[in-house]
Amino acid sequence: MPPRLRCAVPRGLGSVNPSRISTRSAVLLLPSAPTPVAAARQYATAAAFKLPADYVPPTKPPTARPSDTRKSQLLRTYTSLLRSTPLILIFQHNNLTAVEWAAVRRELRIALGKVSTEGTDSAEVTSKAQLQVIRTRIFDVALKIVEFHDPSKVAPTTVSSLSGEKVQVVYNHDLSKAAYKSVKAATTGDVPLPESSAYGEISPLLVGPLAILTLPAVSPAHLAAALSVLSPSPPAFPAPSKKKNPGYYDPIAQAGFQKLMLVGGRIEDKVFDLDGVKWVGGIEGGLDALRAQLVHMLQTAGLGLTSVLEGASKSLWLTLESRRSVLDEEQNGGKEGEKKEESS
Amino acid sequence: MITRFITDVTTRFNPFSARAKSARLFLSFLPPTARSSGMNITTQLLPRTSTQPSSLHIKFKDGKEMKLDCEAMGIKSIVEEVDRHSRMLQKEADLAAA
Repeated sequence: MPPRLRCAVPRGLGSVNPSRISTRSAVLLLPSAPTPVAAARQYATAAAFKLPADYVPPTKPPTARPSDTRKSQLLRTYTSLLRSTPLILIFQHNNLTAVEWAAVRRELRIALGKVSTEGTDSAEVTSKAQLQVIRTRIFDVALKIVEFHDPSKVAPTTVSSLSGEKVQVVYNHDLSKAAYKSVKAATTGDVPLPESSAYGEISPLLVGPLAILTLPAVSPAHLAAALSVLSPSPPAFPAPSKKKNPGYYDPIAQAGFQKLMLVGGRIEDKVFDLDGVKWVGGIEGGLDALRAQLVHMLQTAGLGLTSVLEGASKSLWLTLESRRSVLDEEQNGGKEGEKKEESS
Repeated sequence: MITRFITDVTTRFNPFSARAKSARLFLSFLPPTARSSGMNITTQLLPRTSTQPSSLHIKFKDGKEMKLDCEAMGIKSIVEEVDRHSRMLQKEADLAAA
């Protein structure tokens, strides 16, 4: 749309010289009578100001699907969620009512709050943890885009800038044609998905009504707390006791928990089943403890390695030395004088 | 789906198998008040590596038991099968009430 210019309302449009008018909007812009003052002033009329044919507004890059629909924006939300969230638990929810959802979220918040201390990273994890219902099909598409679309490999396209110059622009956003094409190329046709693809592993899970629990960091303590509330399994993840947490045994909350079913998880781009998720939740001391274990293992391995490497050369030296002494003794059976010189 | 006459639902499936779809969808078809109105729902999730077939076992109020093969049947045919018996029970219940 051309820019709007404020000017005086023309009094008599009939008096305007028709040869000077090219468009309808120019009629409104031109003064009624060609006075000398009006002739001196130059306005950017609609006829003079024309956008290049292949101009693309920078705020509205071309997209493969309509960008202003709710679904498209939801898809963008999901892709950014998948890229930024390391720990996602996938639940199937079977017709929970709104009050049951509220009770489930309340109990989850209480349980997560118990494992975190104020003012630390763990409190941050608790405040950002979220249990949300997702649109399954759109989440499925988002998973495909995250896995198969590599934004850094998109070739730039040439478009005109506002002034008409040709500029190179890369359209590699999630709704772009490039993303659409790369996803289509990876998932359609006779070629099966590669064995290593996380999407191939997780796609059978994406059936029916789903909800996801997202934690902003891989924190086994928080995961264990969430598991003990949402899918308790007595020895490792017992449900909170009735005395400490009576709200958990509220009939509404219990009805909610019965209808939630943990089907799997996605942790650090890897797909885990129920047992795998429990295993991650059971890591004592969190990631730091795992790192400490690794460092310890590497250190001891290093010590062993040096002693092994040293040992080979040492034993070689010892054998050669003993052999030499044996040879020396054999030689010196006849020559006593030389032995004294050598052995010194 | 008519769920009034179902007293017991037992499912077992491996969520990582594509064949578990109909069993999972059947669970999502049960109304929110199913448990509070006396239906027993038991779900067992198999581990990812398991190759056991998914199963759906339904008991009705009149004592009929149905073992449905989730592997081959889609959700539509399962619902049809369940409704076939439920409609019969509903007819009897309506006649008894009248």
